[in-house]
Amino acid sequence: MTGTRYTVTHRTEYGYEDVVTASYGLAYLLPRDVTGRQQARASVVVTPSPSDLREHHDIYGNRVLYFSVLSEHTTLVVTATSTIVVEPRSLPLDGPPWETARDLLRSSSDPDTIDAGEFVLDSPKVASSPALADYAAPSFPVGRPVVAGAVDLMHRIQREFEYLPGATSISTTLDEVLEERRGVCQDFAHLFVGCLRSMGLAARYVSGYLETLPPPGQAKLQGADASHAWGSVHVPGNGWVDLDPTNGLLVDDRYVITAWGRDYSDVAPLKGVIFTESAKSTLDVAVDVIRS
Amino acid sequence: MSDLHPSVLDAYEPPLGVYDEMLGSDRVPRRHWESVLGSLSAMAPFELARRRAQTARLLADDGVTYHRYRTATAVGELGLEEVATLDSADRSRPTGDTAWRLDPVPVVLASDEWRTVEEGLIQRAELLDLVLTDLYGDRQLLHRRLLPPELVFGHPGYLRACHGMRLPGPHQLFTTAVDLARDGGGSWHVLADRTQAPSGAGYALENRTVVSRVFPSLYRDAQVHRLAPFFRALRSSLQEVAPPGTNDPRIVVLTPGPHSETAFEHAFVASYLGYPLVQGGDLSVRDGRVWMRTLERMERVDVILRRVDAAYSDPLELRPDSELGVPGLVEACRQGAVSVVNTLGSGVLENPALLAFLPRLAEALLGQELRLPSVPTWWCGEEAGRKHVLAHLDTLVLKPVARAVGASAMLGSTLSAAERDDLRCRVEADPAAWVGQEELTLASAPVLAEDGLAPRRMVLRTFLVSRRGSYAAMAGGLTRVAPEPGTAFIANQAGAWSKDTWILTSEPEAATGFWLQEGPQPLAAPRPDASISSRAGENLFWLARYAERVEDAVRLLRVVHDRRNEFQHASNPAGTACLTTLYQALTHITTTYPGFVGGEIEHPTHELASLVFDHGRAGTVAFSARRLLNAARAVRDQLSIDTWSVLAALERDLDDGTARGDDRTAVIVPTLTAVLQRLLALSGLEAESLVRDAGWRFQDAGRRIERAIHLASLLRVTLTLERDQATDSLLLESVLTAAESIITYRRRYRSKARLTTVLDLLLLDESNPRSLVYQLQRLSEDVANFPPSADGRMDSVARGVLGTTTLVRLADTATLATTSDDGTRPELEAFLWKVVEQLMATAGAIERTHFTPPKPQRRLA
Repeated sequence: MTGTRYTVTHRTEYGYEDVVTASYGLAYLLPRDVTGRQQARASVVVTPSPSDLREHHDIYGNRVLYFSVLSEHTTLVVTATSTIVVEPRSLPLDGPPWETARDLLRSSSDPDTIDAGEFVLDSPKVASSPALADYAAPSFPVGRPVVAGAVDLMHRIQREFEYLPGATSISTTLDEVLEERRGVCQDFAHLFVGCLRSMGLAARYVSGYLETLPPPGQAKLQGADASHAWGSVHVPGNGWVDLDPTNGLLVDDRYVITAWGRDYSDVAPLKGVIFTESAKSTLDVAVDVIRS
Repeated sequence: MSDLHPSVLDAYEPPLGVYDEMLGSDRVPRRHWESVLGSLSAMAPFELARRRAQTARLLADDGVTYHRYRTATAVGELGLEEVATLDSADRSRPTGDTAWRLDPVPVVLASDEWRTVEEGLIQRAELLDLVLTDLYGDRQLLHRRLLPPELVFGHPGYLRACHGMRLPGPHQLFTTAVDLARDGGGSWHVLADRTQAPSGAGYALENRTVVSRVFPSLYRDAQVHRLAPFFRALRSSLQEVAPPGTNDPRIVVLTPGPHSETAFEHAFVASYLGYPLVQGGDLSVRDGRVWMRTLERMERVDVILRRVDAAYSDPLELRPDSELGVPGLVEACRQGAVSVVNTLGSGVLENPALLAFLPRLAEALLGQELRLPSVPTWWCGEEAGRKHVLAHLDTLVLKPVARAVGASAMLGSTLSAAERDDLRCRVEADPAAWVGQEELTLASAPVLAEDGLAPRRMVLRTFLVSRRGSYAAMAGGLTRVAPEPGTAFIANQAGAWSKDTWILTSEPEAATGFWLQEGPQPLAAPRPDASISSRAGENLFWLARYAERVEDAVRLLRVVHDRRNEFQHASNPAGTACLTTLYQALTHITTTYPGFVGGEIEHPTHELASLVFDHGRAGTVAFSARRLLNAARAVRDQLSIDTWSVLAALERDLDDGTARGDDRTAVIVPTLTAVLQRLLALSGLEAESLVRDAGWRFQDAGRRIERAIHLASLLRVTLTLERDQATDSLLLESVLTAAESIITYRRRYRSKARLTTVLDLLLLDESNPRSLVYQLQRLSEDVANFPPSADGRMDSVARGVLGTTTLVRLADTATLATTSDDGTRPELEAFLWKVVEQLMATAGAIERTHFTPPKPQRRLA
């Protein structure tokens, strides 16, 4: 392939103060293939050595890794290493007026559009609300093409919200983000998706990586990257258009897609269940995105 | 029907416009009721009252329970109750009212009518199966716009993690229950489909068992379809649904635990079918397969009959806050390594909005009309439906599409104008979350009231299971009737009564037992071991310990009470000293400090009553009895009906006393006597009715350890201090009585009690089943027959018991009885301390070695 090649290393380490007798995990760390956009090869190493390690595809076609570690341990390390080739591709920026896009979700006989209907509905972390609709409305005047509206919304979020790591947690609600006007990429992705859904449009949450460049003249620090998240809007007949409200960018070949779902809860990089007396744990995540 | 006993039907007045099961519109009994009604009419009123009381007693003896909860925010697994969650956090406190309610008069249905209903039910199950298969497969129904995506994706019963999973065999829907009701004209309609983990079949079977005992000749003569064939079909289908290549599959019943609403049924069905009853913690996933922790080893599980809601059955892929599930279970299903039924995700079919679409789906998927109509239903997620519902709020029943906490059905006709406006707002705010249904004029059926038969409104739950490419329906079902004459609101949580349902046969049916197998027998020889989970083993161990604890406390309390009667008013210094020592011994033994140790007690009887009845106070008889009952409930599939009737009586004895309030001091003695009888019955069952398997070994070990600890403690708190001879003599006699050895002692020694001979009899006499050495011998035997533990820690248990046995055997009673100058008996004191300490250590070692429960479950974070 001719596209841009990235090597992504995503290492997560859990440490416990007491013995863990069993860990069961589900990892969304293997970037999926996206037809015409990216191809990925990836593998995951779990230590201590897992007694189960199996991959399947979820309902949205994402790659999911199930693993269990059933020997006693106090440290669990999950390392995903992927090589992804991303093709440059121009995004389909045209499309019907947003009202048409909205109505087609209910009336179209196109299976893709019918399937997209799921992404208008509330999901565990993103529910439509009048407040979100109020915020989104100025981006969607009568007759504006759906992508143009979404792009405008993306820019407004990028302008009007402050990127502030630590300002929010996994449990922060969308209403709080809207109120406080700050958050991190995950919050902005949820906000973006919630606004679109509140307008009756289908929108999904996308997890992945964004290549970061060091300041001019400096070497790139190891582990300095992070996993990233953005949103995607459905354009009937044209598929999905990914937009990054954190950076105000169309998602181009600087981005690697890992997985998509209704919101973060569908595609959390790692979740699991452990059996231990240990009440405390430490978490260390290191991500490197290297262009190669 | 001219010779009716006049009183039976006198008060029977079905409401106007209501179809009555028994009487036609002309008030003439329907033909298929003649036999039943004839028999009932021939019985005098007092006879009917007796049968009614007998029904309640049989249910109590069988320990048939159904947990009701205090508020509407709670569980409704069974029924019309609108809320279903098994989340212990959401559940409000049980009301304590746990009696299952059964009216003994059956509902009788004619065979012709039933055949039509049955055909409709089978068609419906087949249709729902096709829908379920499609929704977790390629979702043609959505792509063809036969179902709105919102109806599926918006429903909490749709589990995305289960997409693409396939159950072996022809059906994805393994079993289903259908709630039926008649309209005013007598036609049957479906009120709701119960596809999550349908309950009620076990209760129906229990109802049949009780009613056939209450009306034996009536049942015999009436030619009623048996229920056993349904359970045989269930059993065969459970075997056939096992992963391909499994010979003689291991099948278990997964329950949320003894506190769940229908816990009785889980245990009853498990024990009837002969499968282990397990909780999530008993299972684990390893190498892609499901294993059960038994006392002996890890055993592979092939089929799980699930009574835990799907969303709660795997905290890894479904609800992360569930502690009722098995992490990795979804993955094991995905791999086809285990078959879970009902299929994970089948709850999506419970969406009442689906009823509005079924006629269309029947047409599209089966090319047929729906034989059994649903109650007319409109989904507010579609504009036409919404308009209709909002325009008829005053006549429809409004139901949320998902059973959830805080959501309940509302009868529009009973709402005030303000409430209706409020409802309108709620519907308009989230129309897709609501359906409107026509309110049926439910049929009435007779129940046995104080003054003969009386009509009550009814619904009927029917049961189907996948069988040989189609579905087998239970020939009968669980009828439920409203608790009051006026109401048509029928919910178990709201006090509904149940009834047996008789489908008459057109010709006599050969009585068949459950074990008469149809078809070929499995190739493999049946497994000889009936292994039980290690959690069950632990509960048996504790069941016996608590039983012994109650018995020991009761014996001591009786002795104290007798001594008190003897000496409380007498000016007998020895008697008073003895009584004081016994009072204090009671406090020490039951660890109910400060009690009699904390200083003079003004009303000792009040303290004694408290030690019997206060179930909230640790150490009392009632407290230990509750623990005993809890342990029994957790293993109720292991216990016989006889055991249950004993336990039920035990509970009654203590409750009766408690109910007397301040007056309870008057019933201390009769209560102690009654409780002791129950415990003797229990230990008799333990000794004579149980197979000597691993479970029994742990039970016996529990009893021996507890009795030994009690005995050593009792001797320590009464005999390690020398008093004057008269007091000592009284005390020794009291101790012998409490230790159930007084008669032997008198016969053998024919003298006043002396410490050395008492110690001989109570510590060292191998022929005395109450002696310490006897307990240790039995314990050694039990321990020698324990299953070997995986990690070889077994030795520490056996070593511990051997050490204690040696210590006791080597004891010399003359030395032990030595009294120092200060009146203490340090040798005896040290010896008894050591015995107790070592036995406690052994008990702990048994727990650690054989019962090790999993560590607490947490989220990866």
